[in-house]
Amino acid sequence: MFQLDELQHDALVELFNQGVGQAAAAMSQIVHEEVTMSVPLITFQSRAEVAQELGGPEARRICAVTQTYQGAFNTEAMLMFPEEKSLEIVRLMVGQSVTMEELSEMEQEAMSEIGNIILNSCMSTLANIAGKELHGSLPIYRIGTSDQILGSSDNQWSGMVLTLKIDFNIEKHEINGYVAFLLDTTALHDLQAYLQQYLSGLMP
Amino acid sequence: MIASDSSLEVQLALLNSVLKAARVGMIVLDSQERVVLWNQWMEQHAFCSSESVFGKSFVELYPELTNGRAHNAIKGALKDNFASLISQTLNKAPFPLFANADDRLVGTRIQQAVQVMPIDLPSHLPLQQHCLIQITDVSMAVAREKQLRDLAMELQGQIFADGLTGIPNRRRFDEHMEGEFRRAKRASTPLSLIMIDVDSFKDYNDNYGHQKGDECLILIAAALSRILGRPCDLVARYGGEEFMAVLPNTNADGALVFAESMRNEIASLAIEHAYSKVAPHVTISLGVITQIPSHNTAIPHLIGAADRALYQAKRNGRNCVVVHGDKPKTAASPAAA
Amino acid sequence: MSNAKTTTILVVDDSRVSRLLSRQFILHNHPDWIIEEAVTGEEAVTKLSSISPDLILLDVNMPGMGGLAAVVKLREISPEIPICLMTANVQDATREKAHNLGVQFAEKPITQARIDHVIAQLENA
Repeated sequence: MFQLDELQHDALVELFNQGVGQAAAAMSQIVHEEVTMSVPLITFQSRAEVAQELGGPEARRICAVTQTYQGAFNTEAMLMFPEEKSLEIVRLMVGQSVTMEELSEMEQEAMSEIGNIILNSCMSTLANIAGKELHGSLPIYRIGTSDQILGSSDNQWSGMVLTLKIDFNIEKHEINGYVAFLLDTTALHDLQAYLQQYLSGLMP
Repeated sequence: MIASDSSLEVQLALLNSVLKAARVGMIVLDSQERVVLWNQWMEQHAFCSSESVFGKSFVELYPELTNGRAHNAIKGALKDNFASLISQTLNKAPFPLFANADDRLVGTRIQQAVQVMPIDLPSHLPLQQHCLIQITDVSMAVAREKQLRDLAMELQGQIFADGLTGIPNRRRFDEHMEGEFRRAKRASTPLSLIMIDVDSFKDYNDNYGHQKGDECLILIAAALSRILGRPCDLVARYGGEEFMAVLPNTNADGALVFAESMRNEIASLAIEHAYSKVAPHVTISLGVITQIPSHNTAIPHLIGAADRALYQAKRNGRNCVVVHGDKPKTAASPAAA
Repeated sequence: MSNAKTTTILVVDDSRVSRLLSRQFILHNHPDWIIEEAVTGEEAVTKLSSISPDLILLDVNMPGMGGLAAVVKLREISPEIPICLMTANVQDATREKAHNLGVQFAEKPITQARIDHVIAQLENA
């Protein structure tokens, strides 16, 4: 079972909080509203566990924005909201009422950009501590059940999902979402190594 | 990949022709954010030649975009190798690009979807990180979606219409107001609100009967709606004898003109009202507020201000307009009771 | 800043790594200064009744009593004490809040340069 030690875990939480903090500042520039974001909790889970937590008993639909990163370590990163939350976020960010029950194509693009800002911000902090190159792809918008989004039916994959709970606050509306990083065994160890390297550099 | 069985000169000529023919804007910046590639589409729609921009930095060309979304995306591509999407929905038209010279004169920009991508360069070449900015004209997609949205709203019209008068109801007002308030905040434009109340309406109802009262409201609603012209303007029935008008992108002077027109229009309906304390016909009182919303203002504040202005109008003798913030002088009022 | 006693800085942050960083960067140029730590806003308030720091470095994003609420409570106890808010999320609202509360703010990630700047502002006050 993969686990980080207490200090490594602390460092990772702090890095992600800085990442989403910077993303919030970027988004507030776009909407001229106060935007705050924080990561109260991070966990390492299996894909099935995450899918279950996200989907809930009703197997509700999830909107996901996905980007892949390669280089210092390889991962598929996703920003995920239950469908009705993504409608709410887009409506708040875009400043227009969503009259239809699904996101239109242009609204999906807005959602993609939100994912792009948040995921790049998180990864930027990790790239800094890795001190190595990371190459990120453009965002892709998907909608489906949590099983479909996470590909939890693939039993061959042996890795873990680093899940971040996100508290997103705009115009006094609080919305909760998730960021997930799919990390195979190599990536998990790379991540741990970079964190340890970063911490060693900090110690006197 | 380009087929490499012809000479470098031919390959280069071919690539240049492709860039010329491409129907998207392409800008390449070097590690110092200076322009090294500017394709034909950019020349055509930015109305500047590539020679005039080569070597200029991004902030030199577009100082207003410094440290904004696009600039940060460029920095992310150059420093971190990250790709970024700048959607039209959140960013409308960041670059000054125009479909034609006429649009450029008026300032109507092309609606843009922008992607910023790091460019992989072969490591054996002595070149540092570069990035590509790709700009797509999405004006048509935007227009199409607006049509769809309008159609959906029309279909939903039933839920949003006041049963008696047929004009938008309070629910519609709330929804429209939220959207316009946010838009005004985004764009830092003035938003005006006019709160309207029929004077001595209870006396009208009591004496002429509820049927006549209903007819009166229907006439007033129609008259108020006639005054407003733009699709973003809205007048709604807010309460029994209360109406609200939302006027986006309208400054205080404009709002005052509208309010006065409304007052005059109702007066000129000359609906007989022998029991009014104000005039021999039905009149209205109006409260006006104009504001450019900022991050610490909210809709209830605005409505409260309009309400207070309306209250002052009643106190001033009715059949008049009061603008919030003005000292208890009214904009214009005939001899009041 | 008093010369009578050693300068004391109170670092308030729920992240151990952040507290370590602040401690290190401060001590780098001022090895004789005293660094006190608090993990939460509540703990900082409690500590303030027994110590009198010359400066409080206060993380904005903390569970429970967040940084902004902590400023109010801390000022109730010690109205003049210099406070610097630490945050990765710097936007117009942040600047305005800091100004209204009469506190400085510094951007995260915490670096030597940023800590030096905060201390320089303290020394110039």
